Parts: sequence; structure tokens; C-alpha cells
Amino acid sequence: MKNLFRPALLLATGTLALASCSKDDDTTTVTPAVQAQTVSSLSAASTTSSTGQPIAAKHYTFFSLADNKQVAYTDSNTTKWDVAFRGTTILTNSGISGPGQGGAQVYTGLFADLTTAPTTGYAVDAASALAIPAGSGKGWYSYDATTHIVSPVAGKVLAIRTATGKYAKLEITSYYKNAPAAPSATDLSGYYTFRYVYQASGTSLK
Amino acid sequence: MTRSLSSSVAYALPLALLAGPALAQKAGRPLPADTLRRRRLTEVVVTATRTEKSLTDVAIPVSVVGEKQIKSMGSLRLGDVLREQTGLSLVADHGQGIQLQGLNSEYTLILVDGEPLIGRTAGTLDLTRVAVGNIQRVEVVKGPASALWGSDALAGVVNIITQKPQPGLSGGLRARYGSNRTADFSGTLNAGGERAGFTLFGNRYSSAGYTLQPESGAATVPPFASYTGQSRFTYRLSERTKFSLSSRYFVENQASTAPTTNETGLTANVTLKSRQTDFTLNPTLTHRFAGDKVVATARLYYSRYHTQEAYTYAADGRYFDATYFTQAFLRPEVQVDYSPRPNQTLTLGTGYQRQTVAATRYDERQLLQNAYGYAQYDWTPTTKLNLVAGARYDGPSQYAGQLSPKLAARYQLRPWLALRGSVGRGYRVPDFRQLYLNFSNPTVGYSVFGTGQVQAKVAQLAQQGQLATDPTTGQAIIYQSALDQAGRLTTESSVATNVGFVLAPKLTNPDLSYRFTINAFRNDLSNLIETTTVALKKNGQSVFSYRNVTRAYTQGLELENSLQLPHGFAVSAGYQYLIAKDKSVVESLEAGQVFRRDPATLQTERVRASDYGGLFNRSRHTWNAKVFYENQPRGLTASVRAIYRGRYGFADANANTILDADNEYVSGYLLLNVAASKTLGPWLSLQAGVDNLTNYTDPAYISTLVGRLWYASLAIELGKKPVARTL
Repeated sequence: MKNLFRPALLLATGTLALASCSKDDDTTTVTPAVQAQTVSSLSAASTTSSTGQPIAAKHYTFFSLADNKQVAYTDSNTTKWDVAFRGTTILTNSGISGPGQGGAQVYTGLFADLTTAPTTGYAVDAASALAIPAGSGKGWYSYDATTHIVSPVAGKVLAIRTATGKYAKLEITSYYKNAPAAPSATDLSGYYTFRYVYQASGTSLK
Repeated sequence: MTRSLSSSVAYALPLALLAGPALAQKAGRPLPADTLRRRRLTEVVVTATRTEKSLTDVAIPVSVVGEKQIKSMGSLRLGDVLREQTGLSLVADHGQGIQLQGLNSEYTLILVDGEPLIGRTAGTLDLTRVAVGNIQRVEVVKGPASALWGSDALAGVVNIITQKPQPGLSGGLRARYGSNRTADFSGTLNAGGERAGFTLFGNRYSSAGYTLQPESGAATVPPFASYTGQSRFTYRLSERTKFSLSSRYFVENQASTAPTTNETGLTANVTLKSRQTDFTLNPTLTHRFAGDKVVATARLYYSRYHTQEAYTYAADGRYFDATYFTQAFLRPEVQVDYSPRPNQTLTLGTGYQRQTVAATRYDERQLLQNAYGYAQYDWTPTTKLNLVAGARYDGPSQYAGQLSPKLAARYQLRPWLALRGSVGRGYRVPDFRQLYLNFSNPTVGYSVFGTGQVQAKVAQLAQQGQLATDPTTGQAIIYQSALDQAGRLTTESSVATNVGFVLAPKLTNPDLSYRFTINAFRNDLSNLIETTTVALKKNGQSVFSYRNVTRAYTQGLELENSLQLPHGFAVSAGYQYLIAKDKSVVESLEAGQVFRRDPATLQTERVRASDYGGLFNRSRHTWNAKVFYENQPRGLTASVRAIYRGRYGFADANANTILDADNEYVSGYLLLNVAASKTLGPWLSLQAGVDNLTNYTDPAYISTLVGRLWYASLAIELGKKPVARTL
């Protein structure tokens, strides 16, 4: 097995080297400092059935990344919100979901590695597919049919274009209330814990 | 799990593994003086080539567990026998099955006298269905054998050879009782005359079951009782023609009550009463043509398997749910073995297989047909070299034709050293769920369809307006490429290589012998089936089906040692080293695309390829060590067997679905089993034993480990004892 691992390590080192290069480039161009925010146990579910299956809330939970706060659902047809949660579904303020200039794409890698927001490649919410694809293993989470546990897939970072066309990156770290280390079917689901970085000007997400 | 006592534990009985049964014959039976490898030649196996062949001469890895060893281990069911063998691990997946060369239980074909047991409702064939009280030996072929046996023989084949009628009248009764009120009673009857012979076997097996996690309110194994009846009638029509008729009947009833959640989310105690039955009938006609160069065999095999489950509310007996599953299997087959010269055998066979299956969650009764033919050429050009080339073609009604070739060779390098190697293909048709399932979850609202239904069902859902639609186009949301893949679901297949040697030095002391075998294996699996989403429903749930995507490999090394010592002692030891990995995961790891999140700190990091532990439920290390003792004059036998299963992956705990962290493993464990027997006069014997002597349990992760189990049994043998049969 040893020889199988060697090229893997080389590859990993290569990626790191590339990442640090782009870091250097960014520091020269971007001025405003951004700060990582953490949001804990944002509720996007009203009840949970006894098997742990989330029973979807009546309304989405709307959230403003720019202001780091929840937005009333009555403002759903405005650009006050950037992302919205209900059960495992996440909307962006775009396409069929809202009037904003939002969008998203799923980046595979470490949160820290996404140092510059891509300026192209954003999908908008459409009836055929949301910008953040719904479904186990398709977007940000995987669902275990045996244990009924929803786990945010490690290494999936959501590159978000906000309602006003700014950039952000967001990593969901737990789907259960108070982010238990080993969620069980009795833990309340539909509670989002995530970290994000919002850039009000430019593309640096460092 | 030990029953049996037996005065007839062979001298060499303990030599489990390859050499065990071969050497077991040594004490009982003198062999023709002209045999080269004296003594050992008696052990004949039939599964490797579908012809009788000496175990020492086969070119592929075969293990044999003989009757005496099975009795001395005190085994009741087939799983008890197989779990103590090198390279086999007992696993639970919709029934008790075995993992062989790191492949799941659905990839091993289970035969009784060369005919398949049916009833793999979810892939696994439950080994507890098979009583071992009338087994003459169990043959385990390792490596793919689809070239001879067709579907399911990817990892290998387990063939249970039952007792054949012996001359004279004899019979026996055996009763065993042990922990968990486990009771087992069996009786055998044998009558053999000039032309006709008859055997009858009856068994009742029952247990109060056990509960590992009382807080769950449900029994781990609920109380059950099963009955097995088996008979064989043989008749010599002429000097050259033999007729045989075998039949088997099995029934098991089980009842349990457990808290269950209904469609509205309410939980109530629900009683489940289940019953499964299994019936087989197998007439066979064999004719040896004049000149003894051609042997023709015609076989007809019929089998029916049925399960039925009734769920009622425990409080008032109201209906809650009911399910059933019925499978019927019919197969006529003809085989001709032609030996133009003593060192050449050409085997040709052809057959037709007709199966029907009906179940609660299938639409209607389904029909599967398969016409097949196989050919094998077994050639020994020099006394040192044996070559076997074979191929089989199956034309299943549901899929593309399957061609499964195999090539095997054995070379006697030195009188004490033989090399052997083989390459072959194995395949498995999708299971019934993957073909026919038509299920919509009433609570959550998702649907699952088998490949046979999925296109039509998705079209039907679209027509009924049950699918989500794209408002811009008005079209239903269907993932066409996944749906196309699901609609053309096909067989899973493997290509495997086995290479090794057998070392058996000739020792001057006749009371001393030693045998060492080593086998390296590699299985490359492709088109493994997994679930996929094919459409989106209006209720936000998905429509699932199956497609062939996963690629994986298993590889490893198997070692077996057996040592026969003076004074009735025999020692054996076996070890398997195993690596089993998903190839796409390995590729993603190499590309640095796999991550994990520490569940406590919620920090994410990249996973190194070296952290990948491979497929779940595989132990890198497994070993066993056994000591057997027999004092024939005193009618005394004893055995101590240690079976170790190294740590293995249980479930993902850090959000990347793969096995890569220490807390995702179940700890390794050692099982210590002991047994002893004593004869009391010519017809009575006693046996007692303890399985899992150290009382090892791991209730949260291992549902099959119940803790220490004691038992005692009593056996009466009447009439002329048909022992030491070797065919």
C-alpha cells in the first residue's frame, strides 16, 4: 500500500503550494479585512418525528450574512436576506427564490483554502435544481438511512453570492441543536451551526 | 454452540483447515498401497471441479470441514461451523452470513449437495437455516467459481455435503441443552441394502433468544423454534445406473413484541409473528457408460422458499401490517464427464433455470429465466502438472449474457512442495429488491423502485402529477442519466487471482505430520450496485433506484498451519491479512478531495490516504488457533479453540462517509471455545462445552455476541455405525 500513498502526498503538497501562492497574490490587492463569524443552532425546523426525521417548518428561516442576523420571513421578497434554511434545503436570494442577485457554488476543500471568491460559476435557484443542490451526497450533507442522521459533508464549502452581489463563504458544521459530537436520532435536527466569512468589498475571503 | 458428543472424534480431527479432514481419515482407514501421497488421497472434494477430485490435487484453495470436526466443535448450525474457519468472518445483514476474502455474504454461493439454497430476500442467505447434524463435510472453495457455478460465486462457494446411505441399519439420537434455554434434538436413521438405501434426518432447534439492550424494549434475538426434515433415497437400477432422490423441509416460527412507530408518528407495542418455510426436492440419475470413459448425470432441482410476517398491536390484536415473500426455483441440468485417458477429463454441462418471485413490495409475480452451459477441461500432462480450464455462459432473461472463464494450475515442484495459482471471473445478478421493489414510505414519502419498474413508475408518477415540476418548462424533474442507468441495471462482476503454495514435508515419525499453506488473493470488483436518485417528488422527497457504479478491491494473504503430534494431540493455526477498499475513494484521497470534521471542535481537515481504513466491517487481521486432544482407549476428547477478529470499521463519525478515524472502529475481540466428550459404553456418549468462555460482549456494536454459553449433550448411537465414510 505504501507506494499507493506516495503520489497522494505529493499531490496534496502541490495543492498546498498553489494555495499559498494565491494567498500572496491576494494580500497585495485586497484591503478590507474580513472576519469569520460563527452562527450556532439556527433553527430551521419546527418539529422532529420520533425517528429523527425532520418535519419541515412552515416557513424558511431567512438569514442575512451581511448583517449576521435572522430576517423575518415576511421580508422574503426583498434583498434583506442572503440565504434561507428549511429542513436540509438551503435557498439563495436568486432565481425562483428571491429578487436578489444571489447564487452559490459548492467548493470542495478546506474553509481556509478558499481565499478568493470565484467571480464566475454561480448557479441560481431554479425549479429543476437549487444553486445549493438538495439531496444526500449532492450538496452539503449526507443522510444515513440506517441511523437517520444528517451529516454536513466535511470539506464542502459554499461559495455564496449575496442578495446584493457581494461574496461570502460558508461552512456548515452541524445540523443538530447544540452541535452534539455524536448526534443521535433523539437529538433535535434542523438546527444549523455554521461559520462564514462575508466580504463587503472585493473577493478576498481570507 | 456445541452439541454433540461423539466417541468418534478422529485422531487427527483438530487439523482444521486444509489438511484437517484429509488427515482425519488417517486413523480410520487404510489406503491403497499404490497411492503416492499415501493416506491423504482419501479426502475427496467435488466443489472445485464438479467432479470428484482428491483435495491434495486441486489447483484452487479449498477447505474441508469433516463430520468429526463438526461434532467435536459441538456445532448446531452452519454458521457455527464456518465462523471458526480461517478467512471466514460471521456477519449479520438481514440474516447471518459469512464474509469470504473480504466480500459480503451475498457474494458467496451456498449449496446443499451441489444445489443452491434459495431465499436471499435481501442478498444474504441466513446460515441459521441449515442444521449440521447430518452433514458429512462442508467444502469451502475460495476465489470466484462462476465458471462452474454461475451467479453469486464471486467470493467463493460453500457446499454442504450431506450423509449418503450406508450398508446396514443404524440410527442415532442426540439431545442438547444450554444457555438461553437453547434446546436441540435430532435423530438419524440409515438403512442400506443391496440395491436401495435410505437416510432420514430430523431436527428440532429452539431457543428463548436473548436481549442485549433491554432499554430498547426489543429482543436482540426473539424466541424461536425450527424444524428440519431431510431424507435421501438411493436405488441402484443396474450395475451402471444409480438413482437418488433427496428432499429437505425447514420451518421456523418466531414471535416478538417491540415498540414500533406507525405512520402518524405514534409509538405502540407491536407483535410480530413470522414464519419461514423452505422445501427442496432433488431427483438425480447417474449413468456410467460401458468403457468407464463417460459418466452422465441428470439432475432436477425444485425449491420453494416462503416467509410471512404478521404485525398486530399487542394491546388489542388489531392489524398493523403484514408482509410475505415467495420464491420458487426449478432447474433441470445435465452433465457429462468424459475421460478419454486417465489424465484428461472433459466436463460439459447444460441447464435451464426458472425462478418466480412474489412479495408484498413487488408488483406482481415475477419470472426469471436462465439457460446456461459450462465446459471444463482437466488435464494432467505430467505427473507434476495439473491444468484446469473452464468457462460458463449464462443467458439470463433480464440481462446481457455472462461469460465466466477460469484457468487454474498446480505444479508439484518438490515432493513436499506444490505451487498453485488461478485466475477467474465471478458475477452476481442483482437481488430481488434491486429488480422488483415497488415501495413508497408512508411516513417520509420517498419511493424506491427496482430496475424492472423504475422507468414505468417514474413515467406514471409524472403523469399523475406527483413529481416536482420545473415552472419554466413545465416538465417533471427527472434525472434522466441516472434513470437510464437504473433502467439498465446489470450484474456485478469481479476478476480474481489466487496464488500460493502447499508445503507438506514427509516426516519419518508416522505420528508426526505438518502442513503449511499460503494463498495470496486479489479480487477486483466492478459495477457494484448502489442506490441513486432518479427523480424529485412534489413532497420534496426523492425517487430512488439502483445503478452499477462502485469499483472496489479486496486483497490479502491467508496462512494455515496444521501439526499432528504424538499422544493424540493436534494443533492448528490460521491467519488472514486483508485490505478492502473502494477504488473511487482511493482516487479522491490521492487527489486530496476527502476531508473530515472533528465532531467536538467542528474543525475540518484534509484526510491523508494513509488514514483510509477501507470498506466497513472488514478486519485487517483475523486468526485462529486450536488444540484438539483425543484418547481413544478411554473414549475421551477435548478441544480448545481461540478465534480472533481484529478491529473493523462500524460507521462514519466525522462526516466524510469513509472509515478514517479510530473512533469509527469496533474493538477486536477473542472468542475462546472449549468442549470435551466422553463415551460411556459402546452406544452412549456425553459432551459438554462452553463457547465464549471469557464472556466477551459488545452490546452496542455486535448483536451476534451473546456472552458465555454453556451446553451439555447426550448421544445414543444404535446399530452399525456408519463412520469414516469417504465416498
